[in-house]
Amino acid sequence: MTALAPTDPATGAIQASRDPGSFRDPGGFVYRRDGIIYRQIDEPAIADWTAFLASGLAERLIAKRRLIGHEDAPLDRAATSTARAVIRPEPVEFISYPYEWTFGELQDAALLTLDVQLEALAAGWTLRDATAYNVQFRDAKPILIDSLSFAPLEDGAPWIAYRQFCEHFLAPLALMARTDVRLSRLLRADPDGIPLDLAAELLPWRTRLNLGLLSHVHLHARAQGRYAADDDAGSTARGVRIDRKRLVTLVQNLRSTVAGLRWKPAGTEWAEYADHTSYADAATASKGSLVEAFLAQTGARSVWDLGANTGRYSRLAADAGRSVLAFDIDPAAAERNYRQVRSEGRGDILPLVLDLANPSPGIGWAGGERRSLLDRAGADAIIALALVHHLAISRNVPLPMLLDLFADLAPWAVVEFVPKEDPMVRRLLATREDVFPAYTLDGFRAAAVARYEIVAEQPVAESTRVMFLLRRR
Amino acid sequence: MLHVVLAYIDPGSGSLIIQVLLASLIAIPVFFRNQIARLTGITRRRDSEQPSADDGPRAD
Repeated sequence: MTALAPTDPATGAIQASRDPGSFRDPGGFVYRRDGIIYRQIDEPAIADWTAFLASGLAERLIAKRRLIGHEDAPLDRAATSTARAVIRPEPVEFISYPYEWTFGELQDAALLTLDVQLEALAAGWTLRDATAYNVQFRDAKPILIDSLSFAPLEDGAPWIAYRQFCEHFLAPLALMARTDVRLSRLLRADPDGIPLDLAAELLPWRTRLNLGLLSHVHLHARAQGRYAADDDAGSTARGVRIDRKRLVTLVQNLRSTVAGLRWKPAGTEWAEYADHTSYADAATASKGSLVEAFLAQTGARSVWDLGANTGRYSRLAADAGRSVLAFDIDPAAAERNYRQVRSEGRGDILPLVLDLANPSPGIGWAGGERRSLLDRAGADAIIALALVHHLAISRNVPLPMLLDLFADLAPWAVVEFVPKEDPMVRRLLATREDVFPAYTLDGFRAAAVARYEIVAEQPVAESTRVMFLLRRR
Repeated sequence: MLHVVLAYIDPGSGSLIIQVLLASLIAIPVFFRNQIARLTGITRRRDSEQPSADDGPRAD
């Protein structure tokens, strides 16, 4: 968080730093003060906010864990003198972004948004925005974090956020399911969602045969293009009316379109990796017990598992009572992990898609609206198993730079070094020149001690690999 | 106008107009589906009027 609005002379409020992603809505904003996250509600939104709380809808959504809960805070905690109310939302441990989610996570976030909208419509309310950034994963389940998103449904009013929903959720999901799952990265290029004309162009022609995609993406994109050039469109659009029953039907149709999109996580990079490794069972057992023992020494409560694959070691870490972010470059591996986490109903592992050689940058306004991954680092420990050789050899990252990044992420690291004699490394080197003379066990130790103290070092049984426990200096 | 302020995102003229058209189009098959469901629902309900072991309160 950067201090964009640090103080207000009128109230003398101090040390309030406005969330750089919270500036669009004139109704209020999120800020941090004394290390606590608050949301301030200003004059334009206060009447709706009060009515929303009194409606019973807020209470129901919070009880169902669809909307984040909050406590009232005294007005003197406000960031500025314009505050009419201040609340303290329940904290979310890690803020993740849609371009880091798996297909299933984005789909579940979309369905949550529509379910909330349906529940709101039934109660005479509506969502006045539907951005994917309003959803976060808490206990590995999606939850709406913008308590100020609700407005009373005016008779005959269409859904203001229909376009935003399609750009933030439907277009990327359709592209992931029907064109290529990697297209979720378009969300990183465009923080306002994927333009529908672009989505329509990238989707295969046969998606026009799907009634939902035909309607909400293709015809929707066509209508946007047609009315964008029409000077009278504004007054026509302001005059449109839709009765509530039809609005509900539209949202239900959107829901079945989203729910009907399927993607099968098979055949991509690493999903089958665990089965392809040359690891003997004894080595797997040895590796597991080393990870457990080393993690126990760190006292870590939160862990980032880098290169988590489908989450075998994330589970080891989580089973001991830690919360784990399970990052993997492969959308299929992360998706399989998410589906397993979801079916087990566990809340201590959140799979995310990440290329560590190209981590999420800061994006949006001033490059800071959505924070970079490094800016969000805060785990007690990282684990990096069967990862170092991929970055050092496949991606040409020198070991000192690699360990520098690890050390920036967390004070503790459990790292598996995979030497050149290992069959997996031999495979990586089979098709290219070995330009890595420094990639040795000694080279790894030398790179490690620049940033870390080597607390422990143990060979993994029946393999040539070595497990390190490192503590940042 | 309070609610003009609160509609702080651009809904897009085309998006507003198409949503009204789509809602009307979608309503047509939904109407027929509901009619069919109602008719088959009546016959199905007749078939299953015997109370079953599933009836009664259930823990969610």
